[in-house]
Amino acid sequence: MDSPDLGKGRPDSTVICRCEEITLAEIMEAISRGARTLDAVKRQTRAGMGMCQGRTCHQAIVRLLAAAGRGPEQAGRPSIRPPVRPVLLEALDGGEGASTE
Amino acid sequence: MTLPGAGLRVAVHSLLGPLGEARVVRFTFDGLEYQGLEGEPIAAALAAAGIRVIRHSERFGRPRGVFCAIGHCYECRVTVNGERNVRSCLTPLREGMVVQSQEPIGPGGPLEEPPHEG
Repeated sequence: MDSPDLGKGRPDSTVICRCEEITLAEIMEAISRGARTLDAVKRQTRAGMGMCQGRTCHQAIVRLLAAAGRGPEQAGRPSIRPPVRPVLLEALDGGEGASTE
Repeated sequence: MTLPGAGLRVAVHSLLGPLGEARVVRFTFDGLEYQGLEGEPIAAALAAAGIRVIRHSERFGRPRGVFCAIGHCYECRVTVNGERNVRSCLTPLREGMVVQSQEPIGPGGPLEEPPHEG
């Protein structure tokens, strides 16, 4: 489970957040600037703000925060608000898109 | 039945059993016509047709295709019959579907040069 190599290697070309294309180097820079929670990293870098809403990258960022001395409890959970899946605005309006999913 | 992409499909799956009978349907991807099996995920039909690059990323313009294959990551999103952000790994293929690679809205081209491989 543990990945001691996470955070080494090729930080400029290792993509952590695939949706917003945020690299390991950018996450590490945010942490070095003082980001200590998932939400802080998200607000500094946009990691976790894309189509998948952090489903793919948050575990990796929690691990990077842990390497900076933060446990999962301290790293916190991302702010999760409805809708759970991206939907068309017209779906929220009860319009045609409301029945697609 | 001539199965499109037969060599790339799992004809007999160890858990799911044989592929079974499915109607061959036609669809287009970026204007070119392909065949797939009705009801299989669009991504599976694209893979069987040899298409692995489904779109390009917004920031660095890198190739993107199926990543998680369970509807979780949205990397395989396409435009289907004009509807954007359809997950091709989850959406069943139907006859005559017009599937398009989903490039970013707005002026074309990636936003930035990709960082060089370190």
